[in-house]
Amino acid sequence: MDYFGQLLANGLVLGAIYALTAVAFTLVYGVVRLVNFAFGELFMLGAFLTTSLMLPEVRLFGTVVPMPGFPLPIAALGAIVITGVIGVVVDRIAYRPLRNAPRLAPLITSIAVSVVLQSLAQTIWGAEELRFPQFYLATLEPVVLFDSIYLSVMDLVVMATAVVAMLGLSLFIARSSLGRAMRASAEDQTAAMLVGIPVNRVVAAAFAIGSGFAALAGLLYAQTYGFAHSSMGFLPGLKALTAAVLGGIGSVPGAALGGLILGLVEALGAGYLPNGTAWKDAISFVLLVGLLYMRPQGLLGRPELNSAGRGSLLGGASAAGAGWLQAIFARGDALLARGAAAGTPAAFGLLAVAVIVGLMVPSDYWLRILTMVVIYGMLASGLNVIVGFAGLLDLGFVAFWAVGSYLTSILFVLVLKDGYGVAPQEVWWLLYLNLPLAGLLAAGFAVLLGTPTLKLRGDYLAIMTLGFGEIVRVVAINWMDLTNGPMGIRGIPAPNLFGIALGSPRAQFFFALALAVVVVFAVARLVRSYVGRAWVAIREDEEAAEAMGVPTARYKLYAYATSGFVGGFVGVFYAHSQQYISPLNFSLFENILLLMLVVLGGLGTFLGPFVGALIWIVFLQLALDLPFVQAYPETRFALLGVVLIVLMVFRPQGLAASARVGLTMPGARAKEAA
Amino acid sequence: MMGAETGALLEARQVIVRFGGLEAVGGLDMAVARGAIHGLIGPNGAGKTTVLNVLTGFIRPTAGRLVFDGEEIGGLNVNGFARRGLARTFQNIRLFGAMTVLESVLVGAHQRFSASAPALIFGARTARAAERAMIARAHELLAFVGLGRDVADRVATTLSYGHQRRVEIARALMSSPKLLLLDEPLAGMNALEKQEIADLVRQVRAQGITVLLIEHDMQIVRSLCDHLTVLEYGKLLADGEPEQVLADPAVQAAYLGRAR
Repeated sequence: MDYFGQLLANGLVLGAIYALTAVAFTLVYGVVRLVNFAFGELFMLGAFLTTSLMLPEVRLFGTVVPMPGFPLPIAALGAIVITGVIGVVVDRIAYRPLRNAPRLAPLITSIAVSVVLQSLAQTIWGAEELRFPQFYLATLEPVVLFDSIYLSVMDLVVMATAVVAMLGLSLFIARSSLGRAMRASAEDQTAAMLVGIPVNRVVAAAFAIGSGFAALAGLLYAQTYGFAHSSMGFLPGLKALTAAVLGGIGSVPGAALGGLILGLVEALGAGYLPNGTAWKDAISFVLLVGLLYMRPQGLLGRPELNSAGRGSLLGGASAAGAGWLQAIFARGDALLARGAAAGTPAAFGLLAVAVIVGLMVPSDYWLRILTMVVIYGMLASGLNVIVGFAGLLDLGFVAFWAVGSYLTSILFVLVLKDGYGVAPQEVWWLLYLNLPLAGLLAAGFAVLLGTPTLKLRGDYLAIMTLGFGEIVRVVAINWMDLTNGPMGIRGIPAPNLFGIALGSPRAQFFFALALAVVVVFAVARLVRSYVGRAWVAIREDEEAAEAMGVPTARYKLYAYATSGFVGGFVGVFYAHSQQYISPLNFSLFENILLLMLVVLGGLGTFLGPFVGALIWIVFLQLALDLPFVQAYPETRFALLGVVLIVLMVFRPQGLAASARVGLTMPGARAKEAA
Repeated sequence: MMGAETGALLEARQVIVRFGGLEAVGGLDMAVARGAIHGLIGPNGAGKTTVLNVLTGFIRPTAGRLVFDGEEIGGLNVNGFARRGLARTFQNIRLFGAMTVLESVLVGAHQRFSASAPALIFGARTARAAERAMIARAHELLAFVGLGRDVADRVATTLSYGHQRRVEIARALMSSPKLLLLDEPLAGMNALEKQEIADLVRQVRAQGITVLLIEHDMQIVRSLCDHLTVLEYGKLLADGEPEQVLADPAVQAAYLGRAR
């Protein structure tokens, strides 16, 4: 009883925190149909701001700054208000211009905002933990229930605050005129606008309240666990999103219920399952995936939210402002359009340029960077199949990459070298066998993961794939026997051909380039056929595609499999090129980065993924020369985020969008013209 | 009474569609004869599009049976309907954005392609031959619906409204359907264009394809259709030859209002 009771108490505290954050997701989703990933970061800001306001002095940008040292309630209030304002500003700058854009654009922007806020926080407060100062209530004796359950006074405060805040919000939504306006906007924004509701102000209010809730949850979390850190919002944010989906996104009571369930399941799972604490993160996501599979609308949600708007993911050109910017894009477009018209010769031209660059670049350092460009370009090409062509937002792509990397590493290092004492150079040919093998394995894996997602659309699909990605990562960390856990696998041999080691940076670059030719060629052949036409048809209008005889479920899986194959295939080379892999290589952030590369370059083009990779990785290196970035390396990620937001607002279709891909077999058209 | 002996291609028996408490279609019986141009008419809100959606699998009826070409098809999904030879167009044109006219039309032929991924990647001869044959057929059909070769490589959604309708018809025909269902193919067109599309529908029938269409223009309906089904409030109001149906006082009342 006492062990159970204690777990129950822990679960309730955690549940209260999840519930408060889930309310933020639900409130904003209900009004504008946006999954604002940035709430995890607003949660973190709430924690940092409260902590800073409570301390007598804080180190900001590396300098000690005096602080007021408020007691917790005042500091909390200040933090909630400031975070609320930040939320409104974010909405104004990053989301409002995209209000009528296809739904992928705001989703990506929200991920970008998340990246910006997190790297800014790390720039301001540093990479260290900030200890949460003890509030006097926390020094009081714990309350003992049933002689055995110890509840600290602060735990009770956390629970009471959550209950009061949520009841208050429910009352506010039900009774106040702003609450009524919110409900009206949630039902039908256009109609709400027509009857004179200032929808923009209502949305701003939803963001303000939502951000306030996230901040409150964040500061309670920091209070409970005793610290604030720039990446602390990431997992609780995902969990809260899970809770919101669990309860049925858009429903405030649902968010409360979802948060509570998640908190309890996690606490009890950690306590009772074997090695439960290690697996507790996976528990939430397994719950999420299972629920979305059985009941996509969540416990208390409405089924119509599981829908995707018809039309392209990112829509056409944005008409929004900044003439000079559009002029630059127009010039690039003209060039790309000419290149795309040239088709295959243009591809050979680009390859020739890559070969010449590979031969001419003198420094090993830059060759390594260019190799990374090619690797990331290939991975992004794999992701592009599913996101860009088939139009299914996949946040679990890294799993396929991980499958490939782990397969070859486990075989070479853990099985052959450590298990049987076989030196890697004796079995050099295994690498070439592993490339297609890992591709097939990852493709099978992709079909396995893709199948339960078939019923889901739009945001729910993204959330479910995200759950899968996280599960794979947690498994990679905790399945020690298979993966060597967080230590990773060392000593993966460099690629080798007939006993000649291809370890030099130049050899690796050309190896990568050769693989890229294979990947792009194979993907292009599939896309430029009835398969690619089926994918694009699904992306543009799933129902119409179905009515034209395209078995959409099968072609979605086809896209997953193709994407998975590329991920596994490239993963093999990645492992041999890095010679060391660990679960850290395959985080959600990597997936987001790949997604951003594709979006940056242009979804649904062959060139886009490589353009995106080139710009980002070269930018990363060049930025290191800027004095400001040298002082605060984290700001590079903030800059990436800013670039993406600007791109989404002014150029949602990506830089290389006009390198439009033809969807008929090149040969077939040439014959026809003759 | 109905069935194979009367040569019906598609039959609906006692079809009921309820949305919540609202009965959109109430116990409808109708049969589309092989080789007919069959009109589905009725005042606004009569449930015509709902019926068309039932007949193409978009809406699963609450109750009732659907028999197509002698086969029970009520339990199939949209794709199953398409595979058995029902092709449709949409009231608000639904062409695939970002695709050229040729590519859009080729999607209609999806069921005729079967090349495996390796065959496509290695450019197998059979895969190329299939692609070439279908591209040739797409050009034929584009010419058939009255579109020149010059539009084939334009992005379909940038064409004029009338041309988009024609592309949609070509896309539907590309699957070589047994039954073509057109949801208001003449909407928003001028008199000349209406005649052109009506002629096109006759040519489609001349190729042995049965046509079911929803239309409001009684002039065209009278001259184009061999058989009419009139709906009102989701129920069958009249069914038969156009002259006889349009002369029916109940039909006239439904269209002109009962006050007269």
